[in-house]
Amino acid sequence: MTVSTTAILTIRRSEKRRASRLFRSPTAVIALVWIVGLVIASLTSPLWLRYGPLEQDLSAVLQGPSAAHLLGTDELGRDLLSRIVTAAASTLAIATIPPIVAVAITVPVVLWAARSVRAEGIMNRISEIVMSLPGMVIILAFIAAVGTNMPLVMALFGVLLFGALYRILFGQAKALHQQLFIEAAAVDGVRPMTASFRHVLPNMSTTVIVQFVLFFGIGIMMQAGLAFIGLGPQPPEPTWGGMIQTASRFIFQQPWMMVPTGAVLALTIIAANAFADVLAGGAATPPPLVALRRKRKKATPDADHVVTVGPAETAASTPPEATALFPVEPITDYTDTVEIPADTPGTSGPDLTVHPAAGTAVDGELIVEDLVLGVDGGPALVTGVSLHVKPGRVMGLVGESGCGKSVTSYALLGLLSPGLSVRSGRIQWGAVDLAQADEQTLAKVRGHDIAFISQEPSRALDPMFTIGWQLAVAIKRLRRVNTKEARAIAAQLLDDVGIVDAPRVLKSYPHQISGGMAQRVAIALALAGSPRLLVADEPTTALDVTIQAEILALLRTLVADRGMSVILVTHDLGVVADLCDDVSVMYAGQIVETGSVRDVLVRPEHPYTMALLAADPHAIIDFEGTTRLASIPGQVPLPGSWTAGCRFAQRCRFARDECMTAVPLDPRAEGVGGVRCVRRDEVRGRQEEWRTPVLIGGGDL
Amino acid sequence: MLFFVLKRVAWAILTLLIASWIAFVLVHLSGSTPGGVALGPSATPEEIVAYNESIGWYNPWIQQYFAWVGQVLQGNLGVSLIDGRPIGPDIAKRLPVTAALALGGAIFSAVIGIILGVIAAVRGGAVDRFITILTGILLSLPAFWVGILLVYFFAVQMRLLPATGFVPFEVSPEKWFKSLVLPVLTIALTSAGFVARQTRASMAEALAQEHIRTLRAVGTPPWRIVYVHALRSASLPILATVAVQFIVLFGGSVMIELLFALPGIGQAMQSAVGSADLPFVQALVLVATLVVVVVNLLLETLNRTLDPKLRTS
Repeated sequence: MTVSTTAILTIRRSEKRRASRLFRSPTAVIALVWIVGLVIASLTSPLWLRYGPLEQDLSAVLQGPSAAHLLGTDELGRDLLSRIVTAAASTLAIATIPPIVAVAITVPVVLWAARSVRAEGIMNRISEIVMSLPGMVIILAFIAAVGTNMPLVMALFGVLLFGALYRILFGQAKALHQQLFIEAAAVDGVRPMTASFRHVLPNMSTTVIVQFVLFFGIGIMMQAGLAFIGLGPQPPEPTWGGMIQTASRFIFQQPWMMVPTGAVLALTIIAANAFADVLAGGAATPPPLVALRRKRKKATPDADHVVTVGPAETAASTPPEATALFPVEPITDYTDTVEIPADTPGTSGPDLTVHPAAGTAVDGELIVEDLVLGVDGGPALVTGVSLHVKPGRVMGLVGESGCGKSVTSYALLGLLSPGLSVRSGRIQWGAVDLAQADEQTLAKVRGHDIAFISQEPSRALDPMFTIGWQLAVAIKRLRRVNTKEARAIAAQLLDDVGIVDAPRVLKSYPHQISGGMAQRVAIALALAGSPRLLVADEPTTALDVTIQAEILALLRTLVADRGMSVILVTHDLGVVADLCDDVSVMYAGQIVETGSVRDVLVRPEHPYTMALLAADPHAIIDFEGTTRLASIPGQVPLPGSWTAGCRFAQRCRFARDECMTAVPLDPRAEGVGGVRCVRRDEVRGRQEEWRTPVLIGGGDL
Repeated sequence: MLFFVLKRVAWAILTLLIASWIAFVLVHLSGSTPGGVALGPSATPEEIVAYNESIGWYNPWIQQYFAWVGQVLQGNLGVSLIDGRPIGPDIAKRLPVTAALALGGAIFSAVIGIILGVIAAVRGGAVDRFITILTGILLSLPAFWVGILLVYFFAVQMRLLPATGFVPFEVSPEKWFKSLVLPVLTIALTSAGFVARQTRASMAEALAQEHIRTLRAVGTPPWRIVYVHALRSASLPILATVAVQFIVLFGGSVMIELLFALPGIGQAMQSAVGSADLPFVQALVLVATLVVVVVNLLLETLNRTLDPKLRTS
């Protein structure tokens, strides 16, 4: 049941999208009007044309455009307009033959081949052979056999297009067959044939229609080409190709002659192709590409941002463009900075104050302040994140998926995906604000000062080049050494990250090594410029558990040996306890609790942190007598759906009405750091309650 | 590797056999007979039948087919019915013309197309939209019409180049070059659109790959990311498109060859079809298929050397 519903929904949506795309696109409308108009004009031509297509007037040969002959005349004084329009209907009608034949042959074959492995083998071979036939030459040989019977010749052309169409459609059909809902349909006992027609075919329909229109254009081109070389419909029947051929013979006497026919032919094919482009939806509106050039952002109004702001002032200091762009989003709290009482002891703990003077960070220190990230023309993803990483310390950034951890880590190096940008806030590294820095400044920081390790080691390296080459190129540039030295350093780095067989790995391509090995290589690459800060985005998530432990041990050693500071993005509290000095817990685009690892993990003050701890299977903290793992009901709210109050309130078992108002990041009750919970003092120490599966929260879960 | 080569060659031979069989059947299905074509309209039916009998036209097809294949394997493509000259040497003389045309067209369309595609992919925005529209128009224009326009501007108006005609390289390299400029330019312009679109799509895909982030994170300069890393991974699909263009041009340059009066394969095909020169048609289908098959083999070999995953497996 569910299966067919899903399928029907997808189809309806795709058909609706297709239709609306066509009617909203002026290109598609103009193209359609041109082709339909041409057909109508051609079919009604005897009613309105002043001259017949074969009517000769030897007193008016090779004329340019005039009132009598709007598009001029040919070498026999025949009216060009009349000949062009008369030829249109049959040309366009015959041009539908190749796509009709190609689709009629290919679609059933594709549906069959996608279902049966044996058929797939056979049809792949046959399509390969058809693709290898020289199409034009075969068509000419066919004309030698059957003569210039255009419908028949075009039907053969359609057969020859099978190879190309099969290749385009088969991949798609195969992918569709492997989709869950079709496999589910098979399990439900839907017959394969029925499944093909009900589920696969409708989902391929856009591609089929696009190819149909493209082949229609090719069909027009082919007819004109054949007529041009004298192997189309024979004179005196008017054909576009034949008229262009005549024009080419009279190019010296009357060059005008090639203009009208050629233009009509070209415009008709352009119309068909443009229509197909709009249908396909790809070429007309290109997907966002990697923004290698960063757009300069408008100046943000926090140049003289005061450090300590009360909630009331916070609301007032909301960046105006954010309010203007996102009126529906009632977020008012853009600041995480808190005032730490002057008598707070322990400078080694996390220090959330931002240097009041100018906000410049000490060398090797990273201060992120009020960072707001968002989708261009869409919702904010991260609102007002502040982080402070002192030299040599490891900061953990934890939270569930979708909380904005990875995006934050990308932003630190200006590596946001296209379509995402920093809206406001600072990323202070030494004297530089990386949030505002241009690409040149960033290039000096990347690799040299701050390095990055990504989530998926197997995809982090360029598959086209050897590991040795990739390492050497980076080392040469970052350390300004020659190739030979770079090679030696590369081997040394691999050794440092615990790769025993460095020479072999250097010669390997990324696909030849395991995921754990690839992550070691990625770490070696990150170390190439001896960075002082390493941003690691879930470095162990994609790895096996045993490999995870090895990579963590490696990171610990590197931190200890090199005195690097690290920002470790993870959802694993065990990793945090293992490696980090400080930790910031993120939830729905903001930091809800921050402090030293000891404080946050042992004495959590935010209900979300408590819930995470109670849900951690590693049970790093021993809650006496309880073995039940907590589960947090519900999901992280999506960006754009955040409320003004506590974003965790909906899922929080301690939530009350007071949680619906804006919550500032207040200082911790114990230790240094901040907590974003209005009921902090009431909920403190009640983490064990999360282990009883009672759902309270916002009431709707 | 050896197994791979043998397998590909076996497929190539099978494709050739199928093409030769198609050509043979088409020729035998046609209304004309060799005698009728060779002896002309003045011959009596008895003379025609006698001629046909002398070359074994009424033998079983299988027998005739294998007789022809046997001949071809000995390097004998037969003689033309029109002028009685051997077909093999004639085609050999024509091959360099078409090859120069197709190769020049493929190379220049690749250069223009890759430049346009890379610019579109990297710049994005209005530049991308402009290039998309431009390539859309380029790939819709009939090559023979563009050729006439070029002839009009460069030969008729500016008198820079000869309008039509061909001078062999051995006679005068300079004139040979000049006689090929316009045809090659015509092909390059009309084929560049396909290459540009493929390049744009492949570059966009390459630039969206995860390892690009790694490269940027170690401070790799943008030009290196685009021209070394992204273009390298886009090179395989681009190369395939260029090869397809070459194949299409090799058989499909009939219109261009006729327009510019170049004595190539396409022109021979057109006249052979027009005059029902059956053995010539049969031979040309075979030669054209051979070219396609050889280019495909080269492409696959090149792919294997360019793609580390294929090379090392």
